[in-house]
Amino acid sequence: MRRRAFLESLAVAAAATLAPPRALPLARQRVQRYLRPPGALAEAEFAAACIRCGQCGEICPNRCIRYFGLENGFAARDTPYIVPREKGCILCMKCTQACPSGALRPLAHTAEAILANVRMGRAVVDRRLCLSWQGKSCGVCYRACPLQDVAIRVGMMEQPHVNDHCVGCGLCERSCIQMPQAIRVIPESSGAGWPR
Amino acid sequence: MTMNTRIPAPRWRHLNLLRWVTLTTVFATLLLLPALHLYQTYVAAHAYDLLSPGEQRFYTFMETLTSPFTSDPARDLDALKGTTWSANIFGLKLSDPLAALSQVAAGQTLYLPFLLSALIPLVLTLILGRFFCGWICPATLLYELNSNFGLWLRRFGIHSGNRRFDRRLKYAVLAAGLLLSAAAGAVLTAGIYPPAILGREAYYAIAQGGLGAGSVFFAATLLFDLLVARRGFCRYLCPGGALYALLGRFRLVRVRRVVENCNDCAKCNAVCEFGLDPLHDRFGQDCTNCTACIAVCPTDAMTFTLRLADVPPQGPGHLGHRYRKARPGGAASRSQEAA
Repeated sequence: MRRRAFLESLAVAAAATLAPPRALPLARQRVQRYLRPPGALAEAEFAAACIRCGQCGEICPNRCIRYFGLENGFAARDTPYIVPREKGCILCMKCTQACPSGALRPLAHTAEAILANVRMGRAVVDRRLCLSWQGKSCGVCYRACPLQDVAIRVGMMEQPHVNDHCVGCGLCERSCIQMPQAIRVIPESSGAGWPR
Repeated sequence: MTMNTRIPAPRWRHLNLLRWVTLTTVFATLLLLPALHLYQTYVAAHAYDLLSPGEQRFYTFMETLTSPFTSDPARDLDALKGTTWSANIFGLKLSDPLAALSQVAAGQTLYLPFLLSALIPLVLTLILGRFFCGWICPATLLYELNSNFGLWLRRFGIHSGNRRFDRRLKYAVLAAGLLLSAAAGAVLTAGIYPPAILGREAYYAIAQGGLGAGSVFFAATLLFDLLVARRGFCRYLCPGGALYALLGRFRLVRVRRVVENCNDCAKCNAVCEFGLDPLHDRFGQDCTNCTACIAVCPTDAMTFTLRLADVPPQGPGHLGHRYRKARPGGAASRSQEAA
């Protein structure tokens, strides 16, 4: 049986090698769903304004800011991003004040300034995956949210309801105990393609 | 007799040692700041017990290092961030003029706080020329060590590359970098400018868990310098160097040759990293005021001067045999020479 599987895979590999190159998935895909740090300009302006100095990451106390290599295209090289599932933004706003280039607009560390200006993305709950929506009271995302009862409310069985005040910091997605995560932040920069 | 005619010159020669100290300090700071950042995040996380033994040793070391200066590292060390590309030093934001220019090219917008942060370096460059290249640039330390390595290889009969190209090539690189940045809508010059690359790579290596793509580029420039042209990238290709050369064209502070003290030994030409011709008073806009020629000169014939242009060629040095052959009078005819 193993031998047969091996032969089959060999045949598939041979076919893939012989197939015309257009059949192979050559198109570059976005490697990850990513967020820009808080206070970021819209994607096009951000790429033009960011000077790739790395100060936003260097001041981030949470070390959630990472930098693109060449995997996301040459123009995005060395620009900062956040993958919320790995580490969310704690909304300290230090990076916005550290940014010299204006790619991140300087913001005060107050709830008003954050709610008014930060829009990294918006959390979306997948009710088929969410434990609370499946009848097992959880509420972890609600407790992780820095804007509790403003951006996220809970209903019966701690079922999360995200509203438009969500700034997309990603702490809920980081904390979600489901795998794959039932709540995820849809980045502001991604445009269409992700369900709202 | 002729030795008595030497004009006493200020002792600038120790500046070259100071320059090496400065370069080393900047480079060490470039490595220290990411380490401080890492330490800050450990402090902020209150997680000493969760660190690995190696990380705990690092934590203890950084604690020893910073405890004389701060009792609250997580907050206080925020005052010192960045690289030579753009830095925040106790609230003073300084940026590379090339960064400002590239951002303007990429976005066609003017963000005043950022442009202002490039003002001090800009003014200093207008006065001192390419001083950044000689005195501050973290890549310069490695490039000069690379040059010295190339010279050392000569002992074994290995001759490193010493080809010459047109110096104006770097202006084309600068123009192409700015045009491509404008076309792409992204600051692409940051990816081909060694000090910016080194600053990021140091940060990536220490605090982000690995070197990035820029280190490959930088290694290639080191190889180019070693195999093709001594200090070739800085001389012929660096976009930042091109910008400072243009800005420093009418710089005020210059090195000049004191012809009365010069004996035509040409050590200044040999030591010049940028392949300039101090022996014949041709410094041009590529001189970084690095003072290597001042330090190497055996007769104190190199000094600083405040002029907006190089001294016109002064002819052979008065202590050299060419001058003495042409004018047996020597010191007596010096006034005619100047006239």
